[in-house]
Amino acid sequence: MKKTIALAVALSLVAGSVFASGGAESSSSAKKYRIFMNPKFTGLSYFEVCANGAKEAAKELGVDFVYTGSEQADVQLQVQSLENIVSQKPDAIIVSAIDLNAVAPPLVKAMAKGIKVISYDADTAANARDFFCNQMSYEGAARAMLDCALLNAPEGGELAFIAASPTSPNHMAHIKIMTELCQTEAKYKMFKPVSTQFAGDDEAKSIEVSINLMQAYPNLRGIISSSAVSAPAAARAIQSAGKVGKVFATGVALPSSIRSYLKDGSQKAFFIWDPAMLGYMSVYVAKASLDGTLKNVVGSKVKAGKLGEFTVGKDGEIVYGKPLIFTPQNIDEYKF
Amino acid sequence: MDAIRINVNKHRWELILLGLIAVAAAWATQLSPYYLESGQLFNSSRNFVFTGIMALGLMTVIVTGEMDLSLPSILAVCTVLLAKASAASVPLPLAVIGIFLVAACLGAVNGLLVAKMRLPALAVTLGTMGAFRGVAFIIGSEVGYTGFSDSYKYLGGTLIGETEIPLMLPVFFIVVVLFVVVLHFTTFGRRVYAIGNNANAVAYSGISVAGTKVTAYVLSALTAALGAWIFVGQYGSARGDNANGVILAVITSVVLGGVDINGGKGNVLGVLFSILFLWTLRNGMGLANIAGPIQQLIIGALLIAAVLVSNFAVSFRTSVK
Repeated sequence: MKKTIALAVALSLVAGSVFASGGAESSSSAKKYRIFMNPKFTGLSYFEVCANGAKEAAKELGVDFVYTGSEQADVQLQVQSLENIVSQKPDAIIVSAIDLNAVAPPLVKAMAKGIKVISYDADTAANARDFFCNQMSYEGAARAMLDCALLNAPEGGELAFIAASPTSPNHMAHIKIMTELCQTEAKYKMFKPVSTQFAGDDEAKSIEVSINLMQAYPNLRGIISSSAVSAPAAARAIQSAGKVGKVFATGVALPSSIRSYLKDGSQKAFFIWDPAMLGYMSVYVAKASLDGTLKNVVGSKVKAGKLGEFTVGKDGEIVYGKPLIFTPQNIDEYKF
Repeated sequence: MDAIRINVNKHRWELILLGLIAVAAAWATQLSPYYLESGQLFNSSRNFVFTGIMALGLMTVIVTGEMDLSLPSILAVCTVLLAKASAASVPLPLAVIGIFLVAACLGAVNGLLVAKMRLPALAVTLGTMGAFRGVAFIIGSEVGYTGFSDSYKYLGGTLIGETEIPLMLPVFFIVVVLFVVVLHFTTFGRRVYAIGNNANAVAYSGISVAGTKVTAYVLSALTAALGAWIFVGQYGSARGDNANGVILAVITSVVLGGVDINGGKGNVLGVLFSILFLWTLRNGMGLANIAGPIQQLIIGALLIAAVLVSNFAVSFRTSVK
């Protein structure tokens, strides 16, 4: 009896859903571009801010915009969500990759189908995307972070770096250039890089790594991270270890996440670019690429709405390049 | 043969699951116009294969009344070993035999600790989950390896001929048939169910309970090894953190399939239908861009409903007597 009822319910649900008003997505008659944005993971406000800027650009341009991704920083989940996106036949995909090589297969398939692929924030393998919207040239970012370090410790000292993983191209490039600058440039010669650790954009892991670094290197002067999760986490670790003033943290962070540390004086400077504008720019690049007005040739120009004009560099890289350095003096100007 | 006649009453859970698959498919079709397309379906079917194979292995262990949380960690050990083998240009057959042997050893470790030394399975496999994961990280590091030679990627990365059917799909179904035979038509399978129902009675009848349990653990470890071989072809990369966190999805597939978490009850077809149902649900929700947390909520609620219904069914039956 129970089984019969269950089956009857199931069958009526089937009948009901099949005949129910369809209409999740009816094909729109106008030729509107559909652009999907896939962040490393949706659980980080940095990516939400990027998406807000992207939505603004999408509204200005009159394109359909969908922001979707897995809520955890997991490589396999990102590959799956990219495959789901490709199955929905978008016109362009904007993606920030957790692992530059692992996301390549679905993206290469997408490009073969004529879908434009734009990477932003964290690049994919160069053959898996049409353009890369880089927030800062790797060298620009490296210098900005070392300048922040100077603001914290003009006398120099031992530095440790925290990156998401060895396969995050931007983090690793920043560390490589920072290390080189510390050896070659007089301005930064007082810094001595001693260690690079990985924390996977995870807050708890970043705190653990920072505490371990302070224990392993008793003379450690600073922890620098390009990850907007790890830099504030390092500041928190320094506070809980009671080493405020002895060790500083700096790197990339959203103003909202480090406002308290700048206000209470435990940290002196962090750096970022406007994530909303990075997202905004990436949508303009996607649209220009779809319209055919932007070609992957060094020197090509693209106009990104209110941001002005950008130029294509080597390997399809377009640099947004407007750094913002936060100090206790200017932190209140930034609301994101 | 009597075994072939389908006893409707005995298999009502499997029939309910079949109905649920149909409902889920209809829902998915309504959610997104891209769902009901053969290319999309075949492509996304790859997402249930390696976890599904591990679910069948886990089922064997669970039916004996034990648990194995270390399967994804064993998979990671195998993927990074395959990476080392590929980098050293080891011929594929040798590498595969190698990881099967390693996996069997890891499974035997679980089995000996649980069955011979009578330690609680949950605690033991929680420990080996961490220990094996650590081994995978030591061998594989966080850098990961992506330069697999084509022969290694063949199983997980190719389509059959000119079709859209991934090679791993028929492999999955062969494994399903294998487990149907092993668990429902062999002496070993009979012992597995007997032990799950009443281990003491089995012991008193002179059958080695520990021996069967160790074999179950080794079998499930082998499914992790096969999963690893498919994994490297599917994702083209091997890293210490491969399949981290997948154990929840695997356990969900097994429990939703009608396998009693305390052991002694369950059907391979039930697990198969549960795998297909969860796949349909996840595929449909993914195509409709439903946020991850909501997907988790829906699947979590389904699991609770499954446990409630099966418990209620048991008490209803015993009370009506």
